[in-house]
Order: sequence, then structure tokens, then C-alpha cells
Amino acid sequence: MGFDLATTAFYYMAGASVTSAILAVTRKSPVHCMLWVLALFMHVAGIFLILNAEFLAAVQVIVYAGAILIFYLFIVMLLDLAGEETRPRFGKHWPLAVVAGIFCIIVALLAQVEPRIAEDLSSANLAQVGEQLFGPFALPFEIISLVLLTAIIGAVVLARRRSAES
Amino acid sequence: MIVPMNVVLGLSALLFAIGAFGFLARRNIILMFISVEIMLTAINISLAGFSQHHGNLRGQVLALFVIAIAAAEAGIGLGLLIAKNRNKSGTDVSDLIKLKW
Repeated sequence: MGFDLATTAFYYMAGASVTSAILAVTRKSPVHCMLWVLALFMHVAGIFLILNAEFLAAVQVIVYAGAILIFYLFIVMLLDLAGEETRPRFGKHWPLAVVAGIFCIIVALLAQVEPRIAEDLSSANLAQVGEQLFGPFALPFEIISLVLLTAIIGAVVLARRRSAES
Repeated sequence: MIVPMNVVLGLSALLFAIGAFGFLARRNIILMFISVEIMLTAINISLAGFSQHHGNLRGQVLALFVIAIAAAEAGIGLGLLIAKNRNKSGTDVSDLIKLKW
């Protein structure tokens, strides 16, 4: 077997993403949490690359790290969070949350998969994803655009400043 | 190189558990939303892993849909948060006790 660059890279990405996820849920300052989540998303994009999902990696960086996370950061800075850092970061029930997390791991470890040899996915990933999206998945693709449209309109309606007359 | 599927599933489970812990334990509502995003990312990792495992692209397409849903969830959730902040300032969920019995 010997030294394999891709395997080494995968285990580095896995370790770094778990570490940054742990830091992201335990840091006190919300902005620091966001930056750790940014590190997590970048490493997950690397994992997607190793799993032969190039298009997914690009979407992860552009949409998740570039749009969704910046949106969260805007909200953190938009709301006045003074005094937020002096409050305790966890509720008093946090040991129960640890138990729930361990339960999730146990359930997932029960699911083991038979190893099998699959055909190679690595060639022309983007073209194949496009064929899937506009072929068999065309209807779900259109429906997801409607869902996003509903979400946009809903967010505007919710966040609009109501004037005095209503 | 093909990463063993069980390793991918284990990583996904670990990230999901961290996200679940964060969602249940944190009291800042923005960080609870972020924990949900961590859980969705964990799901995406296992979907991409299954896609490689079975040698077809349906898993990757499903992961794209999951990302779209995550974006919609972020928009609605943070819109609600802004609307709530107009009535009652702060992001601590332990202040929202009106429905508590």
C-alpha cells in the first residue's frame, strides 16, 4: 500500500473538519464560531474533491462558504449582541446534549456498508451532473427553485419594517 | 483512490453528532442555526460518499438539493430572527419562555 497522497489528504481533511466543528460549537464569541465554521466548510469542500464530487466542492465553497455563511455573519453584526458574550454559552442541560450526540454516533456506527468496487466517477463530473439535473431530476430541480423563491419572499415579508398603520 | 465507505460514514456521523450537540446545548439562536448547517454538511458528506460507493451521481444531485434547502432555511430563520428582534432584543433562546408550561 505505502504512502498515498490522497489517503493522507483525506484523513487530514477529516481530522481538521472534526476539530473545527468542535471548536465551532464550543467557542464563546459568535464571530469566532462563524470563522471556525468557515474552516469546516473549506475542509469539507476538500473532502468532496477526494470523493470525486468536483461540482459539489465548488458549490460548497461558493454557496455555503461564500453566501450562506456571509449571510449569517451579516446577521451577527446587524443585531446588537453586546453582553451576549458574558452569558453562559451552554444551557444547564448540556450533559443531556452530550448523551444525544453519543446516541447519534452509536446509531450511525450500527450502519456498516459492504465494500464494493464501483465504476470510476472521476471523468467529466460537471457534464454528468448537468445531464442528471436536466434529465431525470428536471422536475425536482424546478420545484427546488420554487422553494427558494418562496423562501426569498418569506424572508422579505418577515423582515420588512411594518409601518404604523397596520 | 476510493475512500472506504465506512470511514466516510463514520466522519459523517461524528460531524452530525457535533452538530446535534451544538443545537441542543447552545443558547444563542444564531449558533443553533449554524449547528443545523453543520448537520446538513454531515449529511452531504455521506451523500457524496454513497454516490462514489455506488458509482452513480444521484447522491451528488441530492446533496445539491440539500444545499438549496439549507439556503432557504437560513433565509427564513434569520428573517424570523430579525422580526423577533424588533419586539424583544437579544438572541438567547432561554428568554423565549412564553410557551413554557
